[in-house]
Formats: sequence, structure tokens, C-alpha cells
Amino acid sequence: MSVEEQLKPGYWTDGELKPNVRVGVNSVLTGDYAFRRFFSEHDPALVIGNHSTMDGVHFALGKDARAEIGDYCYFTNAVLLCELELRIGNYVVIGWNTTIADTDFHPIGPAERIADAIAISPLGEGRPRPAINKKGVVIEDGVWIGPNATILKGVTIGAGAFIEAGSLVTKDVPPRARILGNPAQIIGEV
Amino acid sequence: MLDENRCLPWDWFPASIPENVVLDETCYLETSFSFFCYRSQAEVGVSMGHGASSYIGTMFDVGPQGSVKIGDYTLVVGVRIVCDSEIEIGDYTLLSWNVVLMDSYRMSLDPEVRKRELERAAMSGQRLPMFVDGDAPPAKPIRIGKNVWIGFDSIVLPGVTIGDGAIVGARSVVVENVEAYTVVAGNPARFIRRLETSNEVREK
Repeated sequence: MSVEEQLKPGYWTDGELKPNVRVGVNSVLTGDYAFRRFFSEHDPALVIGNHSTMDGVHFALGKDARAEIGDYCYFTNAVLLCELELRIGNYVVIGWNTTIADTDFHPIGPAERIADAIAISPLGEGRPRPAINKKGVVIEDGVWIGPNATILKGVTIGAGAFIEAGSLVTKDVPPRARILGNPAQIIGEV
Repeated sequence: MLDENRCLPWDWFPASIPENVVLDETCYLETSFSFFCYRSQAEVGVSMGHGASSYIGTMFDVGPQGSVKIGDYTLVVGVRIVCDSEIEIGDYTLLSWNVVLMDSYRMSLDPEVRKRELERAAMSGQRLPMFVDGDAPPAKPIRIGKNVWIGFDSIVLPGVTIGDGAIVGARSVVVENVEAYTVVAGNPARFIRRLETSNEVREK
């Protein structure tokens, strides 16, 4: 028997995982709010690799969202807001209260925003929402993201990058860059 | 404040306060959940002074060598305190919600080292609370003076000293020392202006 086969299958401490959520061996998810805003109808919608810890992570996946998280990841209380696609590699560490969003949530144009406000109101029953900008987020292997950071849509963070606490990341980050600030700037290399 | 089992009578979380936590009789601590990630072996891991208070989700994420000192009349509202060396907070200081004080990165800055440590941690089965990687940069103490006010969602990075009477604006990230009686704000935080104050207040 291989080492992998001897390990406990992945599980969620607060309930049974939905059929479209796949969690690898020796991985654990905690927090009763983990799937409170999980609406994805994809199958699979969320794939988590082996040996990963998702401690108090919110998986807020919209209807068409897909998220993939690799092996040996360690996230504490991250908020993953995903309407399209989120791809996170192996050995990624994400600190407390960090938000990753692959969408603008609402349209930019004022007229479209009025239409959106009506569509999502209690009176909006059945009205279609206007088009909203979405762009997938990619976080490559070995990235470290500190607490209170924010990663916005369309960003690719290169392998091994070090995102300091509180950074607001709006643009791609080269591999092994150390970044900080709002908007985040390169302050060095690791 | 504590009963004979070192529990808080009003607590919603079923735990006791660790032995090496020193609480002044007049201070207020909302919940023992604040010690969920606490594993300090120091003689005094956390101390709270006369009239000091800690509300809602304050977390004492204190490592084995860590020691946190909270001064008199200091208000701590839902602050994440990540401490592996020493964090000292002076008297009359106000810390707002979601502030992070971190004196340690806990992990190496080198992705190759982190990879090794994550494999070790995952296989050890002891993933909670957070482990400390042997190759992490050394923890650097944080010192926050008296009469300081730190706005919500701000972060204080390792090794930072904030002088007496200073104000840190909301959502700031403090990467370098802050002079006494000044206002700083921004990410990274920068000097905004000086604060006028009387000698009487300075000496308090």
C-alpha cells in the first residue's frame, strides 16, 4: 500500500461535502460557513488536492464557477469569491482574512448598475442581470500571501512570489517577487 | 473576573484561560476563544493591565516563546495578534477591528524552504494551530506606545515601533517606525502630519 492510500480521505469538519466537491487525501476543511455561499452547478466545481488545510475558508462559488486548489496548501480564513475560475497551485499559503475575487460583482456603467440593482432586488424576480466583468485568477506554486491581502480579477501571481500583508494586487506578479502596498508594488525578490 | 476553574462566567466558548495569562482584576475579556491558537510557554504569555479590555474576535495567536503585554485602559477590539517574540502595547491605546499585529512571518521567505516545511507539517498531523518553520526570518518585537490609536483593518509588520500618541489611519500597513505624536496612513503607511499636544498629556 502506498503512503497516499494509508492516509485519511479528505473531509469537512462541519458536514458532508457536496457531490461536486472533490477533496484529496489528508486534506481537511473547517468552518460551518465554508459552503454557505456555494452555488456552483459545475461538476466538479471545487477540486482540492492532497495534504491541504482549508481552515475557515469561505468557498463563495457562483453558479458557473470552478475552483482548483493544489497539494500541501495552507489557507486560514481566506474568502474565495469566484464567479468564473480560480486556479491555485501547490504549496500555497494564504493568511487570515485575505480575499480573492475573480469578478467585479456589478457592472461598471451607471445605467447598467441601475438595471443590476433592480434585477437583484426583492422585486427583480426573473430579470436577467447585465453583463459583469469576470476574469480568472491564477496563483502558481509556492506563493505566500499574508493576512488582509486582496487579489483582484485577472491576476496571475508567479511561482514563489511573496505577497506582504495587506497588499492589494491588481496586476500580474512576476515569479519570486516580493510585493507590498495599495496598489501593490514590487519591493524586492525572494 | 475568573472563576475557580479560570473560566469567564459570561463566556460562550467552553474553555479556560491558560495559567500563564495574567489578567488584572479590573480588566475585561469577552471570551476564552481568544486563546484558541495560544500556545505560549513564556512565564507570562499575555498580560492585560488595569481597566484594559478585549472584545469580540481578538485572537492571541502566540507561539511558544511569545509574550504580549497590554497596558492600562487599553482597548483591543477584534485584533489578530501573531506573536513569536514580544509585543508590547502601552496605556490608553485604542486598537480597532481586524487590526493585525504580527512580529513574525512564521515561514521562510524562500519558496523552496516553505515547500519542505509544508510537507513536514502536513505529514506531522499537527497542522492547527499554525506551526513555526525553523528557517523563518527571526521574529522582531513590536512596540506600540501609550495613547496610540490604530484604525480598523490596519497591519503592523515585524520590528515596528509606534511612538506615543500616534494615529495610524484605517487600512494602513505600517512597515517602518512611527514617530510619537504624528499621524500616518496609507499602504505602505506614510507621514501625514504632526499632532499638537500639551506636556501634561505627554507626561500622563
